[in-house]
Amino acid sequence: MASTSQPPLRFTSHKNFVYRLVFATLTGRTIQISQIRPSSPTNPGLAPHEISFLRLLESITNGSQMEISYTGTILVYKPGLITGSSPGVATSSGGVVRHELPAGCNRGVSYYLLPLCLLAPFSKAPIKVLFTGPGVITSSTPTGDMSVDSVRTAILPLYNQFGIFNNIELRILRRSNPGPNGRGGGGEVQLVFGHQLRLPKTLHLMNAGRIKKVRGVAYSVGVSASNNARMIETARGVLNPLVPDTYIFSDVSSAPLVPAPEKSNPSAKKKIGLGFGLSLVAESSTGCLFSADVASPPAGGEAPEDIGKRCAYQLLEAVSKGGCVAPAAVPTMLGLMTMGSEDVGRIQVGRDVIAEESTIQLARDLTKFGAPGWGLRDASGENENGDVIISVVGRGIGNVGRKVA
Amino acid sequence: MVGKRKREAAVVSRTTKVDEEEEKTTPQTETTDASATDVFRKFFEAQFQPLEVPGGQVTRGDESDEEDSEDEDFEEGSKSGSDWDGLSGEEDEAPVEVVEHRDIKSQDLLDKKARKAFMTSKPPSYSEEPKPAKKKAKKEKSDDDEEDAMDADNLKNDLALQRLLKESHLLESANELAPTGKNRIKALDLRMQELGAKASLYKQKMPTAHRRGIKEKAEMKEDRRRREAKENGIILEKPAPKSNPASTKRRERGVGGASIGKFAGGALNLSKRDVAAIQGPRRTTKGKGRGRGRR
Repeated sequence: MASTSQPPLRFTSHKNFVYRLVFATLTGRTIQISQIRPSSPTNPGLAPHEISFLRLLESITNGSQMEISYTGTILVYKPGLITGSSPGVATSSGGVVRHELPAGCNRGVSYYLLPLCLLAPFSKAPIKVLFTGPGVITSSTPTGDMSVDSVRTAILPLYNQFGIFNNIELRILRRSNPGPNGRGGGGEVQLVFGHQLRLPKTLHLMNAGRIKKVRGVAYSVGVSASNNARMIETARGVLNPLVPDTYIFSDVSSAPLVPAPEKSNPSAKKKIGLGFGLSLVAESSTGCLFSADVASPPAGGEAPEDIGKRCAYQLLEAVSKGGCVAPAAVPTMLGLMTMGSEDVGRIQVGRDVIAEESTIQLARDLTKFGAPGWGLRDASGENENGDVIISVVGRGIGNVGRKVA
Repeated sequence: MVGKRKREAAVVSRTTKVDEEEEKTTPQTETTDASATDVFRKFFEAQFQPLEVPGGQVTRGDESDEEDSEDEDFEEGSKSGSDWDGLSGEEDEAPVEVVEHRDIKSQDLLDKKARKAFMTSKPPSYSEEPKPAKKKAKKEKSDDDEEDAMDADNLKNDLALQRLLKESHLLESANELAPTGKNRIKALDLRMQELGAKASLYKQKMPTAHRRGIKEKAEMKEDRRRREAKENGIILEKPAPKSNPASTKRRERGVGGASIGKFAGGALNLSKRDVAAIQGPRRTTKGKGRGRGRR
């Protein structure tokens, strides 16, 4: 790329790892991340899920280079073009990139899905990725990832506001909760993101509206379906008095099998990823989405009623933070706004949302990538509620692959 | 008897039990008390203001939604007042039972639909509301005639609109929608072609000299227009690019023509390739390889 002459941007620590890589790819800047877990005595350097994400980036881009130091504590990433999954790439079959997650992965698959979706609109060809392997966890995880259902029902609809809505699918082929010790799972998820554009629309979202309905998915993998009913019952008990239009759907599936070869039986398989969980999404009258996710811990020992109740309360908390964006959707929304046309987009967020560590980290990283700083002011008018309005000037870079020469 | 009929109609919404009891009670009271009370009432009304019968009025007030004019009402109320009193006493003992019929099946169906809409692989589109199924398609016969008339009217308007859209380019200057003169012929031509006419009205068969003359005249006119515009310094639209597809395209051969080679000067000329194609693939000498031989 043309950015070769520019010196690499330097970052430290493993925090906000994926979004740094995503913005590096989108802006075409080389980055160097150093001091990745330097003081950890057992696992210094990049973790398995981070390596896996780098592999994913490599398979959907063309010409990206990455160098990892001997200890894994320093990474230099030189981005290439986002080509998507065009047929003929080595890793793909029939235009679908097959991405295997390692067994030691303790992050949910949404860890990969969210940044991938952020890259996808700017790709050259549609992005089709199949996540398989012994590390795919579709439920929410103790490490703080949301479930795939929430990605589909709370994050993907947001792209609609930027004019990205065609041919987007997230197929959940097999569900899985985290395996023992929160590592591994046997799920299978396919993402199809077929709407590529030059520049996303400028967004002005200033009215949060009022919550008009709540939808949800209760899933149980390899355990009794009554868990679903119990979660739904308690969650509805909390939510129904507040929002009568509450529907929670139940999805029951059997436990996935992953190969576990033994000496005597090399083709042995074992069940993995049993558990249950709940994903709730609240939609406001203006189309703002708030989601909550709770799943049973890998160690077990929590009643479905507690899960349902916690999830309902978590949803209420997310709504109570106010603004038009849930904390989980902040990187997606602000990232797309930054990549938009050179125009000022405005978005209203709750004070607690902007005060979150991840949001502030995102802002710092974006300024480092050369994005103009955010303009902040207190919301005024009828729907202020102590919210803050963020004005974001788009960079107007958009899709390099779609630029007309 | 008017009063009785009316009352029954009003009580329809109650449970059937009450209805039966009422029917049991009313006939006797009607026969015995009706005449006596009537006489008393008439006498009283002649002396004083019309009577207010508390029981009858109250029950009527809350039950009926199709009350007629005031005075008629009153008469009926007072007429049936005596037998109604007995009934209202019974009502106090057995409170009105409200039976609500809810279609469980349809609720279930809605559930399924919502599930289907939400649990797909696509991100759910929240903005769209599920459309209620069309239930009142053909409910009342009396409305049918009106609807038919409306339908016919709509159809007519639709046709007119379609025509207008298709032929609007003919109506540049004309204000009226029905074209006249040349435009009418053109519109007619368009419609006929749409209906499947083989050739346009303007592609009539005519002597070549005639057609040539028409063409020449048109060209001359256009030339003159352009020349005059140029002389007057008016900029006109660019002349339409002359297209002569007939010369560039390969001409279609007749049915009886040769499918191979080139017919020129009364002789069919075959190229080397044509000859090879006719001869077909050369066989290998032994006929060992059954497939196609190499050329």
